[in-house]
Order: sequence, then structure tokens, then C-alpha cells
Amino acid sequence: MPCLSRRRFLMAIGWGAAGITAVAGGAAWTLMPTLPPRNAPTPADAAAWLSLRPDGAFELYSSRAEMGQGISIGLRQVAADELGVGVERVRLVQPDTSLVPVARSTVGSDAMRETGVLVARAAAALAVAILREAAQRLGRPMEELRLASEGISSGGKTMLTFADLGAGAPLIVTAEGVEAASPRLLAGPDGRREVGRARPDHDIDAIVTGSRPLYADDVRLPGMMFGAVIRPQTLEGRIRAIDASACRSVPGFLGLYRDGDFAGLVATRRGALAQAMGALVIEEDEDRAIDSAALTGMVDIGGAASSMEHSVVDTGDVGDGPFDVDLTLAVPFAAHASIEPRTAVARFDKDGGLEIWTGTQDPFFVRNSLANAFGLGRDEVVVHGMRIGGGFGARTIVAAEIDAARLAKLCGRPVKVQWSRSDEFRAGFHRPPSSHRLRLSADAAGRITHWHHAFRSGHVIFTSAAMGSGLQFATGFVADPGVARGSVPPYAADATLVEFEDVRLPVKTGPWRGLGAAANSWAVETAIDALARAKGIDPLEMRMRSIASEHRRLRAVLSAAAEMAGWTLRSKDSSDEGWGLACGIYKEMSYAAAVARVTRSEAGYRVTGLWCAHDCGLVVNPDQVRAQVEGNLVWGIGMASKENLPVDGGRILPESFFDYPLPLLSDVRRAACRSAWSTGSGRHRPNVGAQPANAPTAAGRCRLVTGRHCGIGTRAQRHAPADIDGHATRTCRPTGRLQRPAAFPAGLSRGGRPDACGISSARQAGTIAVMAVRGGDS
Amino acid sequence: MLIALNRQSVEIAADLADEPLLFVLRDYFGLNGPRFGCGVGSCGACTVVIDGEAQRSCIYPAAAAEGRQVLTLEGLAGSERLHPVQQAWIDESVPQCGYCQNGQIMTAFALLATRPDAAVAEVEAAMDAVLCRCGTQSRIRKAILRAQSAMAGDL
Repeated sequence: MPCLSRRRFLMAIGWGAAGITAVAGGAAWTLMPTLPPRNAPTPADAAAWLSLRPDGAFELYSSRAEMGQGISIGLRQVAADELGVGVERVRLVQPDTSLVPVARSTVGSDAMRETGVLVARAAAALAVAILREAAQRLGRPMEELRLASEGISSGGKTMLTFADLGAGAPLIVTAEGVEAASPRLLAGPDGRREVGRARPDHDIDAIVTGSRPLYADDVRLPGMMFGAVIRPQTLEGRIRAIDASACRSVPGFLGLYRDGDFAGLVATRRGALAQAMGALVIEEDEDRAIDSAALTGMVDIGGAASSMEHSVVDTGDVGDGPFDVDLTLAVPFAAHASIEPRTAVARFDKDGGLEIWTGTQDPFFVRNSLANAFGLGRDEVVVHGMRIGGGFGARTIVAAEIDAARLAKLCGRPVKVQWSRSDEFRAGFHRPPSSHRLRLSADAAGRITHWHHAFRSGHVIFTSAAMGSGLQFATGFVADPGVARGSVPPYAADATLVEFEDVRLPVKTGPWRGLGAAANSWAVETAIDALARAKGIDPLEMRMRSIASEHRRLRAVLSAAAEMAGWTLRSKDSSDEGWGLACGIYKEMSYAAAVARVTRSEAGYRVTGLWCAHDCGLVVNPDQVRAQVEGNLVWGIGMASKENLPVDGGRILPESFFDYPLPLLSDVRRAACRSAWSTGSGRHRPNVGAQPANAPTAAGRCRLVTGRHCGIGTRAQRHAPADIDGHATRTCRPTGRLQRPAAFPAGLSRGGRPDACGISSARQAGTIAVMAVRGGDS
Repeated sequence: MLIALNRQSVEIAADLADEPLLFVLRDYFGLNGPRFGCGVGSCGACTVVIDGEAQRSCIYPAAAAEGRQVLTLEGLAGSERLHPVQQAWIDESVPQCGYCQNGQIMTAFALLATRPDAAVAEVEAAMDAVLCRCGTQSRIRKAILRAQSAMAGDL
């Protein structure tokens, strides 16, 4: 592998054109950065998405991946309304790099916001084109014709069917037509029949019957082999030697394939592959220095009082205190734990072209990366996007795709690579650990005077999982926007300082559902609760007084959630029951609030009530939005009470779900979700387009985050002058291997299950916070 | 060796005796229902029903299925209509990403086949063994109640 100096490398990534030619080609691919396409979709793109086919169906090429957020059914609903047809007449094709113009990744809950209105415009333009064509064929004025469910009608009679119209030369929509179109979606609620209607998932029939292929593992090619990559077991380990001689006796074993540092096995069947992997003898230079404590130390905010590298908000002078609240919170390393492991099928054709089938959030990034890796033109690589079995941000980089392609190249046959669960934990990337210090003060009336939130975190967007060392170095000077997400408090204060540092960690970190908002909102909401307690003000009242005047939608959802839950009528917190509430804004688009009740019983602590209200703008499909909200509430239960990815001896420990507990059915007792969403009329009308038409995807994503002192975090209150309820500092790590908090009542933790750990007592759990976050994609 | 796969007798080649049943079903019989999630029986995505019991096909050797009735998601529906559990899954709009839902449906099916009036605690005990990362648990609860009603003839 060529060794590039940092300077050369910086040039290569765009600060000097000369650098590009110097390093392109050959084995430089691992160093050459391929950046994900970031272009926003245009009317010209949208013109290529929709067509009327000879069978009379409208075919809609999606540019956004389906991962259960409901974008597929949502886009069909949008198109159907413009065309005046039923949703069943709109056939959706999953993202495919050979069909759609270059599109950016499906992330940030913006699939509907970014593409929904364009699909509506394209469909409205196609409707006009169809009418024009029909008028010409029938020799009648356009005004006398209209689109009906089966075709073009006049006076209630079908004159031409869509199949008639789809035959022959395809009806083309132009970029100008898309731009000029005036879709019903934007005209108000009157023309909407599908938009606003609850519909289940696009693929629900196949999901409940297995009747057709959906995911990458359902792709089976003639002559396809199964492959696995041999990886170091420790984080910075290096494989010195591989002895595959014992594999030869495994029937079905095809071979060990190597190319530089890359090594993998191929077999004719998966059982043989597993056996062969087990028979390998590997010598590895291990690096055992890294453990969870070391990671925690690397992001530790410590007593940091001096100014940090990046500032998000800096208004007024927060000063040096003393403060009414001085909290330190820690958020641990955590996994995506999608149930579908990363899977890809790769096939080289005889001319050297490459086809890939994969569930990816970024098919064009995969395409471009593989083209660079194999010295192919971008049009020589085709990525067929498959349904994703759980994205949550994990499918944003190239993983199983390059594994499968390299093995396919080396063995000369199509290869499927499905990561093992251990690969998912060891070779995947994860939510970075972070550490937060919040210092707040308020006056006697509860008006916030000082808000100072300082935090340190591993990277999110500038992930080491996708960047070579040079690009990591280059981005070291730039604030990672993923780390900062959700850190701007929705509360007004005389002085606000939000600042942070991103820290390069020796583990792979990256986008996880909600990005930094998951941790930051938890910190923000924990802090305002602490302030409310310090001032003797009810947490709901404290928020209502403090929410900045421009966030009236947040105020509305908070009232709605509190009312739903009966907040003001709730029983007083006791040792057996506690209540909490929280609210938040995601990407200045989605507003959410939730109330949670936690109850203690012999079986341990349980979330026994959850109420959520949210407002994400115009809702295309209320069922899918609600599903996203429910999913995020459950995600919050996991985040609050279970999740921590332990590292020891340089190794990410979990190998299966036995070692990484997720929320279970019994953890989800009751999820009441009432949505205070807008209908797209009235006050939110201008938001359609600029903001979420957002729907199936951009639900409010609500995340429940518990535990006032020990929640997801570790050390609460290190600097606590106004020690809340008089509790001492304690450590509580919700690890798979429970470390029971010192004060935890024995016998109440359900046999070492960590779920109770997030909540050190039902009373403390009064701070169940639910972050309002986005919905949808990653 | 012969197994009854979705009520049809099929032959599994002798050299696949050690192959996990999941891979035989997926790679030799082309079934999409049972899915690989972990390979060690920790998630339940691969669940099939063998002689009436929910089993993890990723850790079930093909040879052990010899002479047994193996039912997969594909074999649940009758020729005319879906099984009430499948129908309930649609009516409650349960799936999000959908990847785990085979395990959810097959586990619920096996439970209700033997315990049609299973109480909440039994449902929790059975369904806690099947993981869902998207957070569909509250809908799974509702769908099971709905299926119970349908199977009792109440719907």
C-alpha cells in the first residue's frame, strides 16, 4: 500500500488537483476518499423518476431507501393524489443506480421532505402530459378531459385507458414541466385523498408471507458462493498469519483468497463456510490496551471550564458561576443492533462490470466507492438497492458490499457475504460515547439566566469507519455537525453557551438513530429538570416558562402530552412510582414531547406508561408516522435502561444478542401516542416543501431517556452544588453485565438484568425524558 | 432424508445433514420467510415450527428434522386466505423494517396453536424471546389479541 504523506493526502482530497492523479488507481483505493454524493434532488432528477408504462401502471423510481420508515408507500400516496388514481396503480421501484439520477443518502429523516414535493410535482407534470396526449389522440380540447381511476374520462366515461396511453412512445416529463407544475399537495387539503390516509407498509404482504424477495439475503444468483472476511479480533489488531489447511477437509470449502491485507474464505454453502471459519488458525498481533474505561476517559469532559474547540451557540456571558445546577453526564458506546446483518451479493460480468445487491442507505456512495476500488467507470458498477432490515444510520457506508465484490473478483464467481453477528459488533461502527457538563442558573421566578452545556464526543459524521487517516486528519479541524445535533436548547436564557469537542477514538463511531441529538437532548432535558428541582418548580411549568417564544409548536406538543398523561393529576412520586417528561425539537422541523411513568415491582422497574405528542408538519401517512414515534419510544427505553457496548482487552465484547440486550415485548407495556400533528392546512401550510411534507418518514421521533442521575449515563452530579434530592454521586452503567449501583436495592434487579439500572429508584425516574427527534431514516 | 416441509414431503441430500436447517430452507428450497439474524439462537428471526413447536432453525441441524413436520412462514396461509395471525399482523400494521417479523409471527402462531387463550404473561414469556429493533412491540401485543379473537370466532 503506498504511503502518503499527510500533505500529499490533503491535496488528494481536493486541496490540490495534482494530488488526485498522483494517488489514483492501484491499491490506493483504501486511501482515496470517495465522498458520498450530497446533491439535493432537482426537478430534472424528478423528471426521471416517474413514467406511465405500457401495462397502464405508473412506475415511480424511488431515490430513497426503504427501511421500514414507510417512504415507499408515502411516495406512492403522494403520486397517486396528483394523478387522481388509486395507490395500487403506482408501482414503486427501490433505488437502483442504473435507473435514477445520482441521489444522496437516505438519512436525517428527510426522505419525504426532500423528495415528496418533487414527486408531487413530477406526478402533476405527468398528469398534464397525459391530458395533452389524450387530447391530441382524441381530437378534443384538454378542458373536456380529466384523469380518472382507469384512464382519461370525459363526462364520466372512460375514453382512453392508461394502458392505451402507456403504449407506444413513453410519455416524458421534462425538468421544466416539473418546475412549472402546481401539485394539489401544495394547494391545500381539498385535493388530497391518499395523502393523510393511514396505510400499512408497501411490502407488508411479502413480510407476513415470505412470498417474494425483499432483502439482500433473498437474492440468489446462479453459481453463487458464500464468503466471509477474516478480520482481526482486537480493535487495532493486525493479522500476521492465516493457516487454512484444516479447512480443506470441509466439504464445500472453496478456498482462502488473499489480496494484500485482505483475506476471506469462500464456500459453496453457508454451513461449510461457518465450519471453515472455525477451522482457521490465525495469528494476530493484538492490541489489548483499549477498554470501556479508557474510552470513557477519552471523552471525559472532566472539569473543563475553559473554552472548547467548537461553539454551537454563544450569546451573552455565561460567566463562571456559581450555578444552581452543575451536572456531569456520561453516555456510553452503543450499537445499532439491526436484526438484519449487513449483507451483499456481488457479481462481475464477463466484461468486468460489477453488479451489487445490498440494503444500503447510500447506493451511489457504494457505487462510486466500488468503481474506485476496482478501477471501473461509475457506469460499470450497478447497485440494486434492497429493502433494509433496520438502518438506524448503520447502512451509510460501504461494508459487506466491498467484501462481496473483492471475494467475487478473487474467486471468479458471484458471492454473497452476510456479516456474522460478531462482525456486526466488531467490524461495524457504533454510537460514540460522550460526556456532558451542564451549568445552569435561574432567577427566583424560574427564568433561566445562564445555560452552559459543554460536551465531548467521538465522531458521528466524520466517522473513522468510512474515512482514511488523511481525511480524518483533515476533518479534525472542522466541527462534526452530527455531534452537535440537538444540542441547541429550546429554552430562552439571558446567556447561552453550547460548545463541544469531537475526539478521535480508537473505535469506529458514526451515525446512530438521531445522531448527537440522542445524547444531547437527554442532557438538555436532564438539566432543565435539575434546574426545576433546584428552584422548586414543577418540571412542566419550568419548561412552559422557558421555551423560547418562537417555539410555540413545541409548547403545543408539550401541553398535549401532559394533558394526555394527566400530568397535573398524577400521583405524587413515591418509592414505587415516578413520572417524567421531556420535549425537544429535531432539526428545527419536528416537535415532540412525552411523559413516562415508571413503576417498581417485584420484577424490577418498568416503564408502565408512555404518552407522546408530536408535530412534524404535514403528515402523508399517519400510520407510518405513528409507527416511527412508537419505535422511537421503544428505542428510548433501550437507550435509557439497557444499552452499553462493552469493550475490554482491546475487543468489543458482545458476539450475539445474548450479550447485547434490547428492549423486549415485556418492556413495552403501554405506549400511548397521540399526535398533535398539523394537517398541512392553516399555519403550517408554508412549511410544506420547505419542511416536512415529511410524513411517513419524518415523524417526530421520540426517544425516551430516563434516569435523572444515572439514566444512560454514568457519573451524574459530579459538580452538583444543588444535589438533587440529596443523592450522592454514583455510578451506574447499564452494561450487559450489570454493575448494580451501590444503592440499588438487592433483589429488585431481576437477576442481573440491566433494565432496572437506568432508573435508580422509581422516584428518581421522575425524569424520564423523551427527546423529540425526527423520524425515519437513520 | 425426508422432511415434511409445509405439508409436502421433500428430500434433503445426505451431505447437508450438518447444515443448519435455516440454510437448507433458504438456500436449497429458496424460502424467504426464515431469516438469519445471529446464527446462535439469540434473536429468533429464523424461527420455524417443527412438530408444533417454535424452533430456532439457525441452530437446528437439518438431520434433526428428518421425518418431522416443518412449517415456515410460507406454509401458514391456506389456499384462500391468510392465517388469522398473518391477517392480524396486517390489520394492526405491525411491521416496520420487517426483518424480524417472521420470528414474531411464527412464535405467536406456535403459541396460539397450543394456547389459544394465552394470557398476557404467557404471551410475554413467548414473545420476549424474539427481538425487534424497530420497536413494534406494542403493535405485536395488539395483533396477538386480535388473532386470539379471530381464532375464537369473535371477529
